[in-house]
Amino acid sequence: MTSPVLEMRNAFKRFPGKLALDGSNFTVSAGRVVGLLGRNGAGKTTLLECALGLREVDIGEVRLLGESPMSLSETARSRVGYVPQQNDLFEWLNAGQMLAFFKAFYTRWNDSKVAALLDRWSIPLHTPIGKLSGGEKQRLSIIRALAHDPDVLVLDEPVASLDPGGRRDFLRELVERTIENETTVVLSTHILSDLERVASDVAIMVAGKIILHQVLDTLTEHTHRVVGPTQLLQEIAFGKMLKRVEDRAGNTTLLLTFGEADQGRIDDFRSKGIRVEAIALEDLFIEISQ
Amino acid sequence: MTTVSPITPATLFSVTTGSGEPIYRQLVAQVRRLVAGGHLAAGDELPSVRETAQVLAVNPMTVSKAYSQLEAAGVLERRRGVGMVVAAQHTRAQTRTERSELLRPTLERAATEATQLEIEAATALTLFEKILKGR
Repeated sequence: MTSPVLEMRNAFKRFPGKLALDGSNFTVSAGRVVGLLGRNGAGKTTLLECALGLREVDIGEVRLLGESPMSLSETARSRVGYVPQQNDLFEWLNAGQMLAFFKAFYTRWNDSKVAALLDRWSIPLHTPIGKLSGGEKQRLSIIRALAHDPDVLVLDEPVASLDPGGRRDFLRELVERTIENETTVVLSTHILSDLERVASDVAIMVAGKIILHQVLDTLTEHTHRVVGPTQLLQEIAFGKMLKRVEDRAGNTTLLLTFGEADQGRIDDFRSKGIRVEAIALEDLFIEISQ
Repeated sequence: MTTVSPITPATLFSVTTGSGEPIYRQLVAQVRRLVAGGHLAAGDELPSVRETAQVLAVNPMTVSKAYSQLEAAGVLERRRGVGMVVAAQHTRAQTRTERSELLRPTLERAATEATQLEIEAATALTLFEKILKGR
């Protein structure tokens, strides 16, 4: 087995007045497209920044492409692309100048790809970046991150200022990349419909910890909302319980993950009038991140 | 002159997000229905994984997974140099019983909702009939 592209073990990071990472464990294998979900302030940006070596963890071990991200070799660095959440740098340069500046740092630079994307995404080349719209800046930031054909792409809410058409374009570009280069992608986003399309895996972060990391299809297929009288749902001896809520009226709602093997028990539930329903990713996320 | 347009991902598939049904399952169900109804017949070529993933903007692994399941179920066959085609046994539309079975899951969901809404069978059936005829 090849070593993971990214590995974070028991990582802690404290900022004044806030514990941003509280023992995070996060492993990403080559070729996966991982959607990182979490509410605002859950620690996603800190996690990504620590993974990339832009910040150092207080405690814990981090490996990016097998190396410590704080002392990443040139070779490893050239294989990584990053789209930060906010990019207010180089506002006095225009897009052409900014890209020429970055090109100088890389041995690999896909000029034809850059030209095609600049054209397709209608980025004004001669306007200072500071005068571009939020969406244009974001698209430019994506182009810059893709220009050296990275094997690992880390995107921190890359589509927050894009309209639906712009997001779809971006997703297509991402899909093309995963087809052609088997790029490994870690993508934090609040737009779950995008994530459902492109992610192979989902990681959910709550209060500085990754509390769930699973193959997306498995998660949505195997997780159900089970609703019924509390007395019938006291002891559940199968599957994995993600959440349990009892109400005053004597009903219990469970979020339960179980496989095909437990189908019989589900039929049994249903025969007793207990509701077993599929749950959409968005509902699932909201339920377990509360 | 009429040209036979190739089957494109956009005419074949539609993806719904937020439903709780994984996208690969949606693709599987859509192909099954089109084959059962005779819209896709033996030898018809399916668009490639790559093209489908790009047009739908979905992860290519999702499309591969759908195609593999359809292959395992005997709906599709892998043909060298061509890709996926509808399997040879599907020369004509399936029987009415077989096709009805494919409609069952959707109707079961509708039945559950009708029960929750306290709508009696006769009312629900009238509504369904109206919807069918209205198309």
